Amino acid sequence: MARVIDLHLHSEVSDDSRAPVEAYLKWLARKRDERPLDGIVLTEHRQFDTQSDYRALEDKYGLLILKASEVETEYGHVLVYGVNAAMLQRFDFSNVRLRAQEVIDEVARMGGVAMPCHPGRPTIGLIEHYENRPPLEGVVGVEALNGGSKKGENERVAALIDTYGYHAFGGSDAHLVSFVGICATEFEKEITNTEELVEALRAGGYRPVDFRVRRAPAQPAASGA
Amino acid sequence: MALEFDRSILGQVFDETDFPPVEKADLLRFAAALGETNPLYTDEEAATNGPYGGLVAAPTYVTRLRPKKMAPEHMPRFGKVGFDGGRDVEIFSPVRPGDRLKMVSTIHDIYEKTGRSGSMYFIVLRNEITNQDGQKIAVVDHRIMQR
Amino acid sequence: MKTLYFEEVEEGDELPPIDLLLTKDFVRTYARTAGMDFPRFTDDAGARQEGLPGMIAPGVLSMGLLARLIGEWNQAAQITRIGTTFRSPVLPDCHIHLLGFVTQKDIERHAVECDIWMENHEGERWVIGTATVVLPTRNP
Repeated sequence: MARVIDLHLHSEVSDDSRAPVEAYLKWLARKRDERPLDGIVLTEHRQFDTQSDYRALEDKYGLLILKASEVETEYGHVLVYGVNAAMLQRFDFSNVRLRAQEVIDEVARMGGVAMPCHPGRPTIGLIEHYENRPPLEGVVGVEALNGGSKKGENERVAALIDTYGYHAFGGSDAHLVSFVGICATEFEKEITNTEELVEALRAGGYRPVDFRVRRAPAQPAASGA
Repeated sequence: MALEFDRSILGQVFDETDFPPVEKADLLRFAAALGETNPLYTDEEAATNGPYGGLVAAPTYVTRLRPKKMAPEHMPRFGKVGFDGGRDVEIFSPVRPGDRLKMVSTIHDIYEKTGRSGSMYFIVLRNEITNQDGQKIAVVDHRIMQR
Repeated sequence: MKTLYFEEVEEGDELPPIDLLLTKDFVRTYARTAGMDFPRFTDDAGARQEGLPGMIAPGVLSMGLLARLIGEWNQAAQITRIGTTFRSPVLPDCHIHLLGFVTQKDIERHAVECDIWMENHEGERWVIGTATVVLPTRNP
């Protein structure tokens, strides 16, 4: 059962991460006080990982581990939760030019939910595309807090949420082990499987949570070296 | 949907470059330019008593070696502008003064994804570096982004 | 020489951070030393002609500094693999922070995996990466 879940991270299954899932789980166990997570959702780039079975790791670490995907569309990147065989048949997840409206409509019809991530990011975020294209229909929520964002990218999302009434969630977007769970989502209801996650994401009753801790750097004395 | 191009270009050696013997002074200058403090790279005397029995190059020295040709002759162009997307370096043996290094270059992979600056093509240039004894020194994968 | 043995290193250990002011002179010196004497790495005006906001640091300089982070943590560390992704152009003159953690231990090879990254004073991660590092062992 889980209430606090990191909804966006990449394991070594993604081309740009080398992080084994177990290393993420060990890191969360170690950082329990700082990042009190109950679960993670692996959102591998441009694919759905049908191979890996994380049930033994779930038992060993007492954390919920679910699988999802991050796909690429003309409105930016979109997280797809509740991926099933019908969706994999319908869409080529490796296509970097998927049609966002089709993804949102069809995923919903097939029992999942597709939610735009890092909407404030240039090119691969929703906000920039809303400036010169009509808004998408059927979007229920967006990733309002992304652990990999640059300054201003998360801040920009507030106005989008105000305007369109989207639900807001958070995720670390971790590609490195030590970044797992720096941002996450807190649900009002317990989540125990993918179906409940999809239902909760559609219904609302969640919010992004920020577990980032900023270190105070030493004032550099030397120049260059 | 895989990116379409003539895949026979992948893995074909398009450049072989032989470098002049590595000079000790060059290794020292390179380490100094990074602000290195590790005596293995900066202090010949201290390095003599270290694990390599002498001065060696700082680990990323191999990234300063450039092939004569950066791409095969019939390389498809995917974009107008090129950026340095990243490097993956595997190091088998340290570079030492006097080494005569040889570099063999291939295009290892080409793929597409979208990022902060739009739709991008990634070209992975692979440089395999050996020394005068044919000993493997390093493999450097250079991810070049084009858009 | 500052030596940490495999047995003394734990998963979760932080590599002592390096905070530094990355000056234009430092970047120019590196570029010239590394045979990268191109306007984008040495000269603001030349870099602007290439469409950049000003001169930038070569990606391999960032990578070299992250390798240095490992070497300053443990001078006996032997880097067998280092991979870095250049997420943003690095514009000098700026304060940068080189940070890292030991994330995994491999007892068979007495090697550790490290997360390594460079961020600016606002916590934006400009370069991220990982390294595999073989350490000396007390039980060879």
